[in-house]
Amino acid sequence: MSRDTVAVYTDAPRVRRRHSRDAKVVTPAPGLRMPRAVRRLRRNAPMYAIQGLSDLSTRLRELTGREIIDMNRVMELVQFAYQQQQLAKRGANYVVDDFGFDAEWTESFLPIFKALYRDYWRVETSGMEHVPSSGRTLLVANHAGVLPWDGTMIKTALFVEHPHPRHARALVASLFMGMPFLSWFLRRTGQTVGHPDDTRRLLERDQLVLVFPEGVRGTGKLYADRYKLRRFGRGGFVSTAIRAGAPIVPVSVVGAEEIYPMIADVPALAKLMGLPYFPVTPFWPWLGPLGMIPLPSKWRIQFHEPVHVEVHPPEAADDQNLVMALSDEVRDTIQQGVYDNLKLRRGVFI
Amino acid sequence: MVTPPFPSRVLITGVSNPLGAEVARRLAPQVPWLFGCDVDDPVSANEDMDFVHADMRQSVIGKLVRRLRIDTVVHLAVIVDSGRGDRATHETNVIGTMNVLAGCAGPASSVKRLVVKSSQAVYGARPEYPSVLAEEMASLSRGESSITRDLIELEQLSHDFALRNPECRVARMRLGYRVTRETSLGRYLSQPLIPTFAGFDPRLQLLAEEDAAEAIALAALGKQEGAFNVAGDGVVLLSQAITIMGARSVPVLPPYAGWASRMAIRSTTGVRLPSHLAEVLMFGSVVDCARLHQEFAWKPAHSSRAAIDLFAQGKSEDVIEAPSPPQEYELQRYLQRRKRERRHGAGHAALTAGP
Repeated sequence: MSRDTVAVYTDAPRVRRRHSRDAKVVTPAPGLRMPRAVRRLRRNAPMYAIQGLSDLSTRLRELTGREIIDMNRVMELVQFAYQQQQLAKRGANYVVDDFGFDAEWTESFLPIFKALYRDYWRVETSGMEHVPSSGRTLLVANHAGVLPWDGTMIKTALFVEHPHPRHARALVASLFMGMPFLSWFLRRTGQTVGHPDDTRRLLERDQLVLVFPEGVRGTGKLYADRYKLRRFGRGGFVSTAIRAGAPIVPVSVVGAEEIYPMIADVPALAKLMGLPYFPVTPFWPWLGPLGMIPLPSKWRIQFHEPVHVEVHPPEAADDQNLVMALSDEVRDTIQQGVYDNLKLRRGVFI
Repeated sequence: MVTPPFPSRVLITGVSNPLGAEVARRLAPQVPWLFGCDVDDPVSANEDMDFVHADMRQSVIGKLVRRLRIDTVVHLAVIVDSGRGDRATHETNVIGTMNVLAGCAGPASSVKRLVVKSSQAVYGARPEYPSVLAEEMASLSRGESSITRDLIELEQLSHDFALRNPECRVARMRLGYRVTRETSLGRYLSQPLIPTFAGFDPRLQLLAEEDAAEAIALAALGKQEGAFNVAGDGVVLLSQAITIMGARSVPVLPPYAGWASRMAIRSTTGVRLPSHLAEVLMFGSVVDCARLHQEFAWKPAHSSRAAIDLFAQGKSEDVIEAPSPPQEYELQRYLQRRKRERRHGAGHAALTAGP
């Protein structure tokens, strides 16, 4: 008898039609249905939590006279959670570009990166007016820190400080593009492989491209060598910019050198694991995953005046003398910017 | 004297598969004489085509071309995606193409147009490759998989042939990955649970079967030379494709272990995944079709997304329905005989070929 009722239930699920004619047919999931009161409570739980937290925040402010729980930050986190839920609902109904970039998905992570930008590294950014609101541009920055947090912060700075926020598309060493999970995240958030053809294609689509000519030579340098810029490759980024007719905006980043103070490199281990370097910091690998937490250094980012390489005809891209001269000019601007910002910074952590 | 229409005598090699049959169907109303050959029986009888059994791996193709005074050869007898062994595939792809090219060569040859089917698999897939591959980047590939090696060799042979025979225009059509019930990718995506490589969500670019046939037919009727990428607009992520197919992905395959993963897929789902596809399912493959759009003034009607949507709805199969090759062969023979008798009756010149 009871078997029959179960069979009837699964074969003909209860179908409810809402009042509107356009409404979808709602099929309740088979299984136990909670009582109405419990369902209502579950639906409203986030609202009650926010209200309670808001009351607590007001109470604490009145008690101590200071902001203990910042409701704006709390709302940002709630928004982040809500956005993630919405993203999960879109199924396959989204479009990525030819490089695998999903803008909506990337923007959903902004609250987290904004919190790191404002509260953790307290980034001070200057010269944002040098980044054009539209059109092709090549951002060239110094590279430091064992993991590429500097790229993340430059991208976040463009969203926090720029009047017309734009996604910067960073170029990544091909080695990282072959790593599981990492390559997936990098591609999805707009990064692409560091190949001249990719740079050209992105610039021709009038994108903002971010390149670190130092590459892993920059991120893998020891703490003792901090703020000394490495060789800028063979100036390939200048040739690409000349061919695509894009101005170069040099960017100096101060602070990324101290997030993982690299005391030593273990080349043997790096070779074994197929990595470009194996860092040893005061915390890594001794503390395990805890050692991967970056230190809260004080950061400064400066965008410099554009180097207008687009005034040269495309043929000039083959002129090695010109290319190397422009490459050195960009490198010197960045190096000088690094020194200037180091002077402006009062201490490593304040 | 009126110049005869070009192309007037077209030979399609490797016609006995859905793509070949569809190309024949599209070319039939546009050319006066259409011939098809293959080792296997045709999958779809076509009244306007004369079918002959011929093995490309033998030098019979040269005789066929000379006796039939063929002016256009559409070489579709190239296996990209099959469960057959590497050696058998190599034999068909490389030795078969060598025979076709030898048959078309020579200053006195009547062949003025050659269309060679190739594939996007000629590029292979590696993380260090540019994100969007243009035609000249085939040289990047070091031939990690046997199909890629075969295709590179085959294209090199065709390229050399074009240089040595300037009066014959050669087009190499690099068709994108297609999803039908016949392709490994299609069968792989049709599983309810799809094992994928952990930590990878590759970009796929797909080509609808109709668009592939249209591209080959256009090339056969056209004059364009060189290699052309043919694929739908835009990209679809593997995870998107799996969602569209109503399946679930199971990210369990260990990265980089291509061979072991292929064995695992074969033992769990029964799909034989060629090694070049395993690479694509890790690193993705996207090509630049700007050259096709420019020189053919045509682009595939279906985007990558539309191609997978069509497959999910089960519509990509309506090109050829329920083929039964031996019966189709009998039907083909009957249609040919009837047509020939009709022509005799009407006083037209007899067809010189045919079984």
